Amino acid sequence: MIEPFTVPFMARALTEILLLAVICGPVSVFVFARRLSFTSDALTHTVFPGVVIGFMAGQLFAGALVAAIVTAVALTLLTAGGRVSDDAATAVLLTAMFSIGVVLVSRRSSYTSDLTSFLFGRLLTVTPRQIAETAVLAVVVLVALAVGARAMVFRTFDPAGAAAAGYRVVWLDLWLNLIVALVVVAAVRAVGTILVVALLIVPAAAARMLTNQLVGMAVVGTVLIAGAGYGGLWASWTASIQYGVALTSASSVVLLLVAAYLLLVPVRLLRRRRRDPVVPERNSAHELVG
Amino acid sequence: MAALRYAGVSVGYDRTPVLTHVDLELRAGQRLILVGPNGAGKSTLIKSVLGLVPVLAGEATVLGESPAAARGRAGYVPQIDTLDADFPVSVRQVVMMGRYRRIGWWRPARPADRRAVAEALELVGLADRAGHRFGTLSGGQRQRVLLARAIAAEPRLLLLDEPFNGVDAVSQEAIVRVLRELSAAGTALVLSTHDLTVARELADLVCLVNGRQWAVGTPGETLTAGKLRSAYGGGLVLVAP
Repeated sequence: MIEPFTVPFMARALTEILLLAVICGPVSVFVFARRLSFTSDALTHTVFPGVVIGFMAGQLFAGALVAAIVTAVALTLLTAGGRVSDDAATAVLLTAMFSIGVVLVSRRSSYTSDLTSFLFGRLLTVTPRQIAETAVLAVVVLVALAVGARAMVFRTFDPAGAAAAGYRVVWLDLWLNLIVALVVVAAVRAVGTILVVALLIVPAAAARMLTNQLVGMAVVGTVLIAGAGYGGLWASWTASIQYGVALTSASSVVLLLVAAYLLLVPVRLLRRRRRDPVVPERNSAHELVG
Repeated sequence: MAALRYAGVSVGYDRTPVLTHVDLELRAGQRLILVGPNGAGKSTLIKSVLGLVPVLAGEATVLGESPAAARGRAGYVPQIDTLDADFPVSVRQVVMMGRYRRIGWWRPARPADRRAVAEALELVGLADRAGHRFGTLSGGQRQRVLLARAIAAEPRLLLLDEPFNGVDAVSQEAIVRVLRELSAAGTALVLSTHDLTVARELADLVCLVNGRQWAVGTPGETLTAGKLRSAYGGGLVLVAP
């Protein structure tokens, strides 16, 4: 079980996925609690043209970073104050930016292979430099999350209450969108624009079935990604070396994550059934007549 | 200094007034009850005091400042049905939210914060539920938790939006008792309700609203058949308690 990771490129791939686990676990809790799954999906797609332009200019990281920050700001402004329905604004931005990315990448002669690597990542060719960049982003994301966590939990639970307490809700929303955008930048080369969304949504959704606590969800989510990362890399190595079957590593990781989610569904149902029912208090006539 | 002073105030969204002609003055320790039908503008008025809805006309002063400048200083108890009962957060964590502005962004909660949370929960009679998940409590208990959260912030002015909606008799009694204690300690209170019995029992001042302010004064002056009928329109049938 350890042997595949004695090979340097496998060790680097595992290091990268473990770094991503440390940030995606906690961030996915906020994505889940704020019901930002679609926004995260949009961010992964809107970063795409930036990745392509960056790649062409030899600065993939910088391109992704700029695109991520611009779209995080645009998404926050578009959805602030309910001016445009969240879904419609997000969908317009998602499709527009993704199309631009496809147009840009289709101008290259190595169109198919480039597109595949942008969409699904190249986990096995992660370089030490990429790992260093992911580590820096991980520190930035975790610090930003630690500073804003309290206010963001308040805002997620009770937006009007948080605003009344003096928090600027739009700034908190921008904060979280920027954090999600940075995670996308960190993960996009390893797992691609399509699969990164799985790391932002599935861990917390799966963890919620095991625990009712936000911190617990973050820890369980991190462990799930780490486990799926290890298992997925091991499975793709074993499949290709021992059986000659080509199994993409990033998709194996995501499939294992989804499998963990599906396995936990019955646990959630069981817990719900076991939970003590709420004991109703004495009803007033006022309550009975509504 | 008045906790709240509105003179000829109109409030609303996108420059469209929801409630007009509001003239109020509330001193420390007084209890003001907003009475009016659904859509009368009670919640909008409360949100204007909190600085969340703009004052379109007139002069509004909250704790000696404009509502926008005073934002964060007045306490707020929202309606329970605006909150997600499935949110993974404990009762203690919800009440601690009332201390977040004092704690700041970085520091962990201090013993004084934890003490304030415990005392607030004790006051609303839910100390034994501190570790429970918020969503597992009954509607009335959840309302009391939100009241505890507001108390933990130690505000001089507290606003409650329909605190008796969907609340059982036990919780209603507990809330009324706590509100009396708070006003006795000098906190000015504004709350909205449909329940005229509670309004009569609890109010120092009643403000009758429906699109505009129809009357303000003691319960005896305002909750009269004639004034209620004019505020609610012709369809109101009054039944003696």
